[in-house]
Amino acid sequence: MVLTDTFTPRNFRGQSHLAARDARLRAILDHATRYFMTKRGVALEAFADREDHFGRARVARLAALSRLPELLERLERNATAAGTRVHWARDAAQAREIVAGIARDCGAKVVVKGKSMVSEEIALNPALEATGAEVWETDLGEFIVQLAQEPPSHIIAPCIHMSRADVAALFREKLGLADLADAASIPELTLLARRALREKFLAADLGVTGVNMAVAETGSVVLVENEGNIRMSTTCPPVHVAIMSLEKVAATLEDAADLLRVLPRSATGQRMSSYVSVLTGPRRTEEPNVELDGPRETHLVILDNGRAEVLADPVLREALLCFRCGACLNSCPVYQTVGGHAYGSVYSGPIGTLLSSLLLPTEDTRDLPFGCTLCGACKKTCPLGIDHPKLMLRLRERVCAGSPGLAGVAHAFLALHPLAYRLAVGAARAVDPGLNLLPRLPGLPVGLASFVDSRQPPRLKTPFSAQLRRSRKKGGA
Amino acid sequence: MSRQQILDTLRAGLAAAPLVVPAPPARPASLPMGADAWARLAEVLAPLDVRLRLAATPAEAAQHVADIARERAATSYTRWDDMPPGLDMDDALAGLSRVSDLGGGCCHALAHVDLGLTFAHAALIDSGSLVLVAGRGRPRAASLLPPTHVCLVPRSALAPDVSALPGLLRGHADTAGLPPSCLNLVTGPSSTADIELVLVRGVHGPGALDVVGLDWDI
Ligand code: SF4
Repeated sequence: MVLTDTFTPRNFRGQSHLAARDARLRAILDHATRYFMTKRGVALEAFADREDHFGRARVARLAALSRLPELLERLERNATAAGTRVHWARDAAQAREIVAGIARDCGAKVVVKGKSMVSEEIALNPALEATGAEVWETDLGEFIVQLAQEPPSHIIAPCIHMSRADVAALFREKLGLADLADAASIPELTLLARRALREKFLAADLGVTGVNMAVAETGSVVLVENEGNIRMSTTCPPVHVAIMSLEKVAATLEDAADLLRVLPRSATGQRMSSYVSVLTGPRRTEEPNVELDGPRETHLVILDNGRAEVLADPVLREALLCFRCGACLNSCPVYQTVGGHAYGSVYSGPIGTLLSSLLLPTEDTRDLPFGCTLCGACKKTCPLGIDHPKLMLRLRERVCAGSPGLAGVAHAFLALHPLAYRLAVGAARAVDPGLNLLPRLPGLPVGLASFVDSRQPPRLKTPFSAQLRRSRKKGGA
Repeated sequence: MSRQQILDTLRAGLAAAPLVVPAPPARPASLPMGADAWARLAEVLAPLDVRLRLAATPAEAAQHVADIARERAATSYTRWDDMPPGLDMDDALAGLSRVSDLGGGCCHALAHVDLGLTFAHAALIDSGSLVLVAGRGRPRAASLLPPTHVCLVPRSALAPDVSALPGLLRGHADTAGLPPSCLNLVTGPSSTADIELVLVRGVHGPGALDVVGLDWDI
């Protein structure tokens, strides 16, 4: 993740302070988080055997982590056999270099990108632009924030902080549409974006996407979306690069199918997203199966960027289970109050706090784990059963161990954010401790049980990952 | 170099803190495929703004496809070369011009075509997903670039849910065991709610999806 002075988790406290006072932002967040939670709630209510499906999804993710090195080797072998070139990147700089190298090798003048948090994490766009290519975000929301030169504000809806009039003003200025009225309708704005981007897809030399999962058994990547821009990016350009963070592997097709049962429902309340693509290697060019479209060249970049070390920590590695449905963001009283930008990195909300703290230097993220009321709404919401509050405490412990004077930061945060605190405590008070028995639905207030659970005394044993981190800092590498 | 470092770090981590995986709950049984399969598929597709039209004979299927082309005001179409047997779709769409020369760049050739006609290798009743396997004579772009996508679903393609996916991928593997280069699940039209969370159909892919069920033994 590339940090700037204005967009960094270092300023989390100041940024949340400002955000919490922004009445317009608050209204938008309120609308958006409710919208997502309501849609999700309806979908989960109709989801037969929900808990069993959640349980299978969790075990599929755990199984992947438990055999991660072996599965990555298997993925590499099978992807290579399918004709995909596999690259390994230890950090963001290496990943940028690999993708920029591919862009240079194929002489890319126009690059189209599908929504990908990981490419945001490694700050890929400037590196691609430095090769001389035009780079286009093609997801509508990402396209809009790219034009506005802002970071995305939500995993699922990158531009929820902008109104249609904002978008019209932006298109007027950036797409040269001088006549476009502020009152332009949303379908009209969407059509204008479609036209602008259709040209780019047809001209593109390279398509870059993330992956939702990669299947070790077959060497396939699985991409999930609603707009069709990812399908366009993997159908029209002659070269496709998929970038995956290394934990996104699934051992088998069965595991991938179990995850696909849950992911769209939890993310957007859909039974299935509009498009799921399972891609295995480049288009076939040998008789008898000659294909007329799809990339002629496919690459898979496996990115570490600090994740491998997290696997050694038995508590914190739970964060690697996440498949980015975004549900915990919407359920979080702090996120509902301050929104995504305040977190100062591509990952926001409960899971964002965990990932940023694990992947970025401690000195940049020390306030993040204290921006949490430990209410446990995230844990209750997460279909994969990630215990965010427990991990928050572990991170606080880590921050405090590194710098003993910081023990009071939590208090300071809550004092600065009385509303977030009241919201969380109010929600917790309103329910009885037996709430664990209620169906796990978003929007339900949070059980006291997890609230209490999470207040266990910290363990002070130095985790292996901390030792590793220290030795890495000393030894370089 | 990086590869080895990454793998070594992962191995060291797992050795230091082994991860024991609990047994998963049994996969809940898929819904049985009864006589109401078509009705259930129609019910799941309706909220996605997708209409399922059932045809009892090839002639009826042709009529449905012609009706859809008229309703969608299509003047040109493309179709997969590969089609379920017994259907003459070119006859059904005789009034439209067919774009079939895709050699010089499939996406460019299809960029201005009104309607794309494909068929589903499977249709998942639980989610309303149409499974399209790309291959020779079955380009990916036919179901993606035209603003209207018409998909034929043979009765034999009906399947309960996404747990059918592994079997489909293995079933379409080539002689060397390699799965197809691209398998898509298509569930409703292309959609977005990125601006003010207002749902719009048809952003990059087709804004209209029509399904014709082929209700006879193929
Ligand atoms: S932590 Fe859980 S709820 Fe949050 S994004 Fe990840 S999978 Fe979804």
